[in-house]
Amino acid sequence: MPVLARTLESKGLSTLLITPMPYWAERVGTPRTLAVEYPFGHALGLPGDGEMQRQILAESLQALEAISDPGTVVHSEQLWPGRIEEGIQLWQPKHPSPIITELTPKFREMLRQRRKS
Amino acid sequence: MMVDSFKFLPRIIATFYQMTEREPQHPIPWTPLTKPIGAAKFGLVTSGGLYLKEVQEPFNLEREKAEPSWGDPSYRIIPSTVMKEDIAVSHLHLNTRDIKADFNILLPIHRMQEFVKDGLIGALADDHYAFMGYQGFPPDSRAWETEYGPQIAHALHNEGVHCVLLTPA
Repeated sequence: MPVLARTLESKGLSTLLITPMPYWAERVGTPRTLAVEYPFGHALGLPGDGEMQRQILAESLQALEAISDPGTVVHSEQLWPGRIEEGIQLWQPKHPSPIITELTPKFREMLRQRRKS
Repeated sequence: MMVDSFKFLPRIIATFYQMTEREPQHPIPWTPLTKPIGAAKFGLVTSGGLYLKEVQEPFNLEREKAEPSWGDPSYRIIPSTVMKEDIAVSHLHLNTRDIKADFNILLPIHRMQEFVKDGLIGALADDHYAFMGYQGFPPDSRAWETEYGPQIAHALHNEGVHCVLLTPA
């Protein structure tokens, strides 16, 4: 998605990325970013909570207006209202995605090696 | 407060991100705002895998299941008139329940319509754009950069859009 922000920005649109993953936004070099510490797939918060959604959008508009240096990440102060474990459960699919199923044994081995060294 | 990108990630998926090396290409593209926010027209783009139920094709998850290192790069146009019951979601990397319950958590059409009414933004575009976020592993975003991104940029310009909010998933 940061790639799309770059593409749109290069075509004359002013963009803001609203993401739980500023780590990736910074690595790609995203023009303007609002980082929000919410679970994946919940950039603006919880379903049915219009006030929560409006709050993140209001911060998004402020960031869009305030950022003048390309690549800037603004960090939202909003805290996820639930427990972390619930947040992790909330966004994950019922079955792991095909690539995760394929790569998990490889990753496990890597983590094992890392612990050893 | 600094947002922790890995707070809600299981260890395996955090490793998936940390394994993918990437350095930003400079210069970072930049289009200054040409209007105050209160007079600007907004478009929305998400990668939540949304599409119009029974009207549009779902994203190609069958091919992804057969070929896990590939992700569908195409997009669907979601009009501002959309209602909750019109939206379906295809995404193998997310639990889609909450998005189907209220797509505004990723594509905030109704909230932005309220912002127009309140005078906080100038206008909202008639059309918005949904992609499906998984672009393969290692990620291959060439189709977004060379084909689909420029297509939607062109369409957004034709609608007179100045600013775009993007929400990944």
